[in-house]
Amino acid sequence: MKQNAWPTSYIRYALFLTFVFTGCMKDKITKTYSISTPIFEVLTKFRETIKSQPAMDIGVAGKITVAGNYIYLSEPLKGIHVIDNSNPSSPKNVSFINIPGNEDMAISGKSLYADAYGDLVTFDISNPLDVVAKNFAANVFPDHSIYSNGPGYIGGISFNPDSVNVIIGYTTRDTTVDYDPVNNYPFYTGCPTCSFAASPSSSMAPVATVPNKTATNGSTARFSIINNFLYTVGSYSMTTFNISDPLVPAFASTVQIVGPVETIYPLKNRLFVGTNNGMYMFDVQSSPSTPSLIGQFTHIVACDPVIADENYAYVTLNDSSFCRGAVNELKIIDIKDVANPVDVMTYNLTHPIGLSKDGNHLFICDGKDGLKIYNAANVNGLQLIKQLKDAFDYDVIAQNGIAVVVASNGIYQYDYSDLTNIHLISKL
Amino acid sequence: MKRILFFLFCVCISGRISAQQKPAASPWKFHSVNNVGLLEGQIGSAFQLQSANGMQYRSWFMGIGLGLDFYRYRTIPLFIDLRKEFGSGPNKFFAYADGGVNFAWLTDNQKPLYLTDDHFSAGFYTDLGLGYKIAAGRTNHLLLSLGYSLKKLKESYQGYYYLPPDNLQDKEKINYNLNRLVIKIGWEF
Repeated sequence: MKQNAWPTSYIRYALFLTFVFTGCMKDKITKTYSISTPIFEVLTKFRETIKSQPAMDIGVAGKITVAGNYIYLSEPLKGIHVIDNSNPSSPKNVSFINIPGNEDMAISGKSLYADAYGDLVTFDISNPLDVVAKNFAANVFPDHSIYSNGPGYIGGISFNPDSVNVIIGYTTRDTTVDYDPVNNYPFYTGCPTCSFAASPSSSMAPVATVPNKTATNGSTARFSIINNFLYTVGSYSMTTFNISDPLVPAFASTVQIVGPVETIYPLKNRLFVGTNNGMYMFDVQSSPSTPSLIGQFTHIVACDPVIADENYAYVTLNDSSFCRGAVNELKIIDIKDVANPVDVMTYNLTHPIGLSKDGNHLFICDGKDGLKIYNAANVNGLQLIKQLKDAFDYDVIAQNGIAVVVASNGIYQYDYSDLTNIHLISKL
Repeated sequence: MKRILFFLFCVCISGRISAQQKPAASPWKFHSVNNVGLLEGQIGSAFQLQSANGMQYRSWFMGIGLGLDFYRYRTIPLFIDLRKEFGSGPNKFFAYADGGVNFAWLTDNQKPLYLTDDHFSAGFYTDLGLGYKIAAGRTNHLLLSLGYSLKKLKESYQGYYYLPPDNLQDKEKINYNLNRLVIKIGWEF
């Protein structure tokens, strides 16, 4: 009997203790992350580093432009490799233009336009071995600005570059703090010294064949030239520069675009802008300084380069994580009536990125599946002519029987002048 | 003669062995301890389920346990369960100590969105407490217990920050040390 009395009283005590001590039970949650402190340099000194250097080995391949006998290949955030392609069977890496923060470029005549973080730099490429920076349009790409003071808005103003500091790097150290996951969503936080909005990089957009006077850009390009205007896309906008004076681009306008924007492709007097959720078409004939939207086609969220011909637009969608995409396919869109584009066909692919079209032949870089060449005479029934699985391909420019392919480990060139004997002619 | 002596020796030995095997009941007994628990911590209440199976030797029990723990993140504790009974009657007090590893098994709602390479890795798990077992038949017992439970988890993910001139990537880590009181009711057989 005594034994039964014990547990009853102990249970009472236990419940009492539970009630009392529940308040003492605290979760201990800590977060460990890096604190980054900027390293500054005077803008004048920073600009002095932007110039030609001896050739360097190609590291990470980025955007590509073919101009005459030269291939210009950007290495993201570092600069541009200049490759003498007089003989496509034996290309020569002849020099490197050091451009910190570079991602994109376009060439018209003897002028090369390239971004250096927030600045637009104009180079004289009369001698590709000794490229000279002629003009700096300050902070015209504010999304990528590294200015810590000075002009803070697009268009730039006259200022003394000695008065401006730019951020050239960071020192980092780890720190651990108490953390409350209920009130702090882990993404976009934990960077107390961040002076810029945190956002995923958009540098890995996909390339197309963009004919202008002398140069052809890849389909992943974010710079494009039609006549006397340079069009550049930011994450959510398109900015136009008047290049009537080729060495002194003048800011013309900025139009907002529902983004994130990835690529821009010119065709006659139209611009095709590829974004994560669709393709936008702009007319530049009536007012080249301020492109006007004339049509759009929306699709599922995915990385999205676009090229076009007279009748159809060709859009590749891939599932790269930074675009939050979920499909890998080629979409062909009828654009005969630009205001009412019609989805014609969809083809499943592995991981399509850049693409190019030469006549009836469509070239698609399909990630690890390499380069695929189709007969696209009938868009309702593309026929695979050849698949070349030499590398993980990003982008391609196909013209004059030579396909220049940017891959993860360099540049490959294929001779397709004889479609029954498409073959590799060089690798750099 | 040697052969006869060897034969007798073998008979004696075998007789002795068979005599030893006959009566004595083994002190080792299999038991299964199954509990449903209420976890009380900083963010409120959550349930847990546990099943530990092992051998009892006199007043000691040791087994391997597996459970489900729904506090903050759904996890699966895998642990060694050690318990000691006190008293000699049919109803007894006992103390228990569990220690092991806690594996994350997040529900879809608990999985973070928009994080790259988010990963939860296993952490330490322990549960210490006191209880009372009430006999319910010859081999069954009702269990009541109160204890302290700690489960640890580690979360890591890739943080991307656009900080010109570099796109910084920072492997960020979150360490969870979740302290709870636990009240359990269970069945042992």
